[in-house]
Amino acid sequence: MVRRRLIGLGLALALGLCSGGALALPMGSKGEGMVMLDTSPDQRELAANFAVSTVDAWGVAVGRWSEPLHGVAAHERSREFVAATYTRRVQRWNLPHAQANVWLVGMVGQVRGQGLNSQRSLGSLAVMADYETTRVYVGAGLRPMRASGVRHDSTWLRGGFSFYEAEYDEVQPWFVLEAKRVNFGGSAKNEVTPMLRFIHKRVFVEIGGNRDGAQFNLMWSP
Amino acid sequence: MKVLCAIVVAASLLVVGAAQANTVKLSVNGMVCAFCAQGIEKRLSKMPENGPLYINLKQKVVAIQAKPGKTIDVDKVKAEITEAGYDVVQVQTVPQTVAAIRAEMKAKK
Repeated sequence: MVRRRLIGLGLALALGLCSGGALALPMGSKGEGMVMLDTSPDQRELAANFAVSTVDAWGVAVGRWSEPLHGVAAHERSREFVAATYTRRVQRWNLPHAQANVWLVGMVGQVRGQGLNSQRSLGSLAVMADYETTRVYVGAGLRPMRASGVRHDSTWLRGGFSFYEAEYDEVQPWFVLEAKRVNFGGSAKNEVTPMLRFIHKRVFVEIGGNRDGAQFNLMWSP
Repeated sequence: MKVLCAIVVAASLLVVGAAQANTVKLSVNGMVCAFCAQGIEKRLSKMPENGPLYINLKQKVVAIQAKPGKTIDVDKVKAEITEAGYDVVQVQTVPQTVAAIRAEMKAKK
């Protein structure tokens, strides 16, 4: 069991991917760990957490993003962060054929990068909500990340549908469309990304692409 | 004649035993995604008395069959499903095996 978990974690790290896209389920059930990875052309994030109760999970996240410089076309500067995370399932509604959730994800850490003469303290408090059935998914979130002189505020809306019902132990494919806006303070970026989502019991994968490039999100529960 | 009677009795016991498979069938709200519901499978599989397990998301069913000679602890099963983040709305003890329930559900598709 330990060996399997280590191999899985190593695989996740080897993929070198990072995530902010753990939107469907930012934590597992009590006593479970979760690894979340995303990469897109200008953002990468790797996060892992462990659920200490049915509604609380503690973890860590590391990430990197690129943001456009003021008034300088095609120029970007990068930021890197590392943070401790706390996830709270604020509310869940278990309906006969649907589930809805509201989540809070807090983050406290450090950020560094081009244009910053030193590391700075970083804070974030994200709120997310989702509603899904076995065929339809809708989710939305807001994640402001702030430090002195640094701003990375993400807002997103996602919707999708599964192509067909699948048995519990089968892979179920979905189509998901994400609209996302990231505000860096002096500039902002809008993205619309279509994705294919594949859900299996232990693995959740999204593969997408927009005009800026490919996007890959992965969640794995050991 | 005695041998024939013994065979008939043994066969009858086998039929009765199969009909009395100790299986609990639960109706669970909120199970809409396999990745999310796999916590239920993990928790219930760790219970020593639990044998074959079946989860059907669309029919919102979780069925657990006891291992031979064991009995399902229904209260503990309900508690584990609740700890996994779901709501149990109905519990039934049924004579079918998990394999029979699976076949029945597939036939309904």
